[in-house]
Amino acid sequence: MKSIVHIIDDDRSYRTATARLLSAYGVKVEAYESGDQFLACLPGCEPGCVLLDLQMPGQTGLQIQRQLRELAPLLPIVFLTGEGDIKTGVEAMKAGAQDFLEKPGSVTVLMETIERALAQYERRRAEHERLQELRTLVASLSTREAEVFELIVCGLLNKQIAYALGISERTVKVHRHRVMEKLGARSLVEVVSIAASTGLANQRAERPEI
Amino acid sequence: MALGERAGRLRCVCPLLASLLLIGSNCYAVTSDTSQAIVDRVPRVLILYPYDERLAATTAAGEALRNRLLEAEDGKVDLFSEFLDLSRFPEAAHVARMGRYLAEKYTARRPDVVVALGKESASFISSNRASIAPGARIVAAGFGNSTAENIDLPDDVIAAFTTFDILKTAEMARKLQPNARHLYIIGGSSEFDRGWLATARADLDEFSRSYETTYLEDLTIEEFIERAAHVPSDSIILALTIFKDRAGRNFIPREAIRQIAATASAPAYGPYQTYIDHGVVGGNTVTFDNLGRSLGNLVADVIAGRPVSDIQAPQTNIVDARQLRRWGLAEENLPPGTIQMYKEKTFWEEHWLASTGALGVVLLQAGVIAALLLERRRRQDAESRSRLHLLEAVHLNQSATAGALSSSIAHELNQPLSAIRNNAEAASQLLRTESPDLQLIQQILQDIQEDDQRAGDIIGRMRGLLKKRSEIDWQEFDLNDVTSSAIRIIHGEAERRGITLKATESTIKLPVRADKVHVQQVVLNLATNAMDAMNDAGSRRRILTFATGLASEKAALCVADTGNGIPEERLSRIFEPFFTTKQAGTGLGLSIARAIVETYGGKISAYNRPEGGAIFRVVLPLARQEEEGG
Repeated sequence: MKSIVHIIDDDRSYRTATARLLSAYGVKVEAYESGDQFLACLPGCEPGCVLLDLQMPGQTGLQIQRQLRELAPLLPIVFLTGEGDIKTGVEAMKAGAQDFLEKPGSVTVLMETIERALAQYERRRAEHERLQELRTLVASLSTREAEVFELIVCGLLNKQIAYALGISERTVKVHRHRVMEKLGARSLVEVVSIAASTGLANQRAERPEI
Repeated sequence: MALGERAGRLRCVCPLLASLLLIGSNCYAVTSDTSQAIVDRVPRVLILYPYDERLAATTAAGEALRNRLLEAEDGKVDLFSEFLDLSRFPEAAHVARMGRYLAEKYTARRPDVVVALGKESASFISSNRASIAPGARIVAAGFGNSTAENIDLPDDVIAAFTTFDILKTAEMARKLQPNARHLYIIGGSSEFDRGWLATARADLDEFSRSYETTYLEDLTIEEFIERAAHVPSDSIILALTIFKDRAGRNFIPREAIRQIAATASAPAYGPYQTYIDHGVVGGNTVTFDNLGRSLGNLVADVIAGRPVSDIQAPQTNIVDARQLRRWGLAEENLPPGTIQMYKEKTFWEEHWLASTGALGVVLLQAGVIAALLLERRRRQDAESRSRLHLLEAVHLNQSATAGALSSSIAHELNQPLSAIRNNAEAASQLLRTESPDLQLIQQILQDIQEDDQRAGDIIGRMRGLLKKRSEIDWQEFDLNDVTSSAIRIIHGEAERRGITLKATESTIKLPVRADKVHVQQVVLNLATNAMDAMNDAGSRRRILTFATGLASEKAALCVADTGNGIPEERLSRIFEPFFTTKQAGTGLGLSIARAIVETYGGKISAYNRPEGGAIFRVVLPLARQEEEGG
């Protein structure tokens, strides 16, 4: 599946020209005249990256960025700006902008930036998918197994877990084995790493010591 | 010739007749009985003029008579005038025809009194009295008894005489020439002339003793002229009459006197009004006016039935002011009551009061005009200076506006430039492919052209904004156009600041006459002000509204914002220079806007909108209002 570059710019002429340019280089492009129009198309649109004009009537680039973070967190955003406004730039970068492009910029820079952004998207998407898999694995644990998993991540010994759950140490060992098997972890370190990735570690970290 | 009742004074009576044919001498008085007063109706008075109406002498006397009579009778008198025209129609047939005509004409309105001016009229009415005016009283004017006898005037005719007194004339001459040593008396050779000379000798008997007296008589006209031309300069020349000279040539006396006086080496005097304007200094005489008034009184008495008798018309000293000047005779030496003819009164004498006033007014006016001119000049200087200052201020203001808008204008310019670049790159990339899409490339090139045009327009507007004026470039334009071009200039800035622009343009044209760039600057000042106001206020809904329209025969523009408005206490000072509410403001924008608007005869005002925000209103006079109206 080929990624798409979404150009959002109120200036028809620039929008068209840039779309043509990217098309000429073999990049799939969709152009939108406003952020609202893009947001409306978002549910059905193909993923890729966003070229977003900073200055637009109606919703500004920054406002669109804020909404996109909620609606499509994976989409990398490259801002287009006619002037080097440091304040806006910093704000945009803090909010997670992928890059900044000055108008007019050279086609090389444009293409590099776009490629970088698309690569970033691919990475994000892979990461996201891996995370989704892990979450699925974690979700497949039985209640008792999940409890044991949590306590393992917290660093408790089998004896301590058995005591905490009121079961025999032997049973804990069985569960522990099942957990490692289900999650595909070969060592305790891997189990902890999975917990950290899925956000379980942080969740449980504040759990009071028994 | 005969001596009158009063010894030592000869009354020379002569007909009034216009150009004065002096005919008779001597004095005669007819005493008339009293007659019945006319009581039952408005009395009718017929005035007979011997000649036609152009004859000044009779006409003047007649006019004086009429006026006096109307005055005396309080207007209750019926006056008739008949011009007998006997000089041009002396034939007996005309006289008879005139008699029949008048007899018939006055059948129904018989005159109560007939005034006959001159000898011919007197003769005429004497012969036609029965048919024209039976029973009327006849008043004859301007001739003496010898003539009356000759024409056989009835006894009941009352006469008004004119008497000419040589002694009074001589005394006037003495007063005018107190240093004179010689006296010359000129008289002709006719019987009348000789009679006059004899009278004069008697009258002047005593007077002439103070002088070396010479009677110039029995001479030809040439001799008269010759002698008069060589008299000593301290001489008095008294001219009587010359109807005939020694050679027997006939003269109208005034013509003879004119010839003599023209070359005389001393001032000449004569007792006739007609001599005036013929070279004499003056004399004692009866004026036509006086004669007319005397006649008027006489006729009034007749009408009232008062006893009347023959009268003497009063005499007057009369001089020719030009002759006084010619001989250097002092005006102050004239006897009191002397009439000066041809006196070209100096403007000062005649109208001193009016002229003093007029002069005062003129001087005042001149002063005011001079002051106004000076003021105007100074004002023009000041105006041109202030215009120059204004132009400079406007230019600075323009530069400031351009500076403030520069980033948004640069951004705006960037759009087409970026588009051009991307389009060009796209085209060249397309051309590298095996089968380029020529149609697309064609479209790309067209877009490049359009964007180039767009960039050019932006630069053009910028240049217009920065154009420096050394003088006002007057032109007529539509206020709507200027408003839209100002909106185009600021729209980038508005976008940058998140401000929505709204414009309601008037559907009709609003032609105004001014400098387009200046008016645009006003709109820009108001717009940037409004945008700043909304920025400062941090309003959520930032809307800048422009509205143009016609307001009471003027072009109006309103710029409204949704800021916090202007505090009431500052509303009155907002157009003052250096008054600013902005931290970074110079306080000149609005004052320059006002200066510009007022330069073009307009007005600018500021209000707060009830719903919040301020509204600025510019009103400019419409150009070609009359054509618009028509």
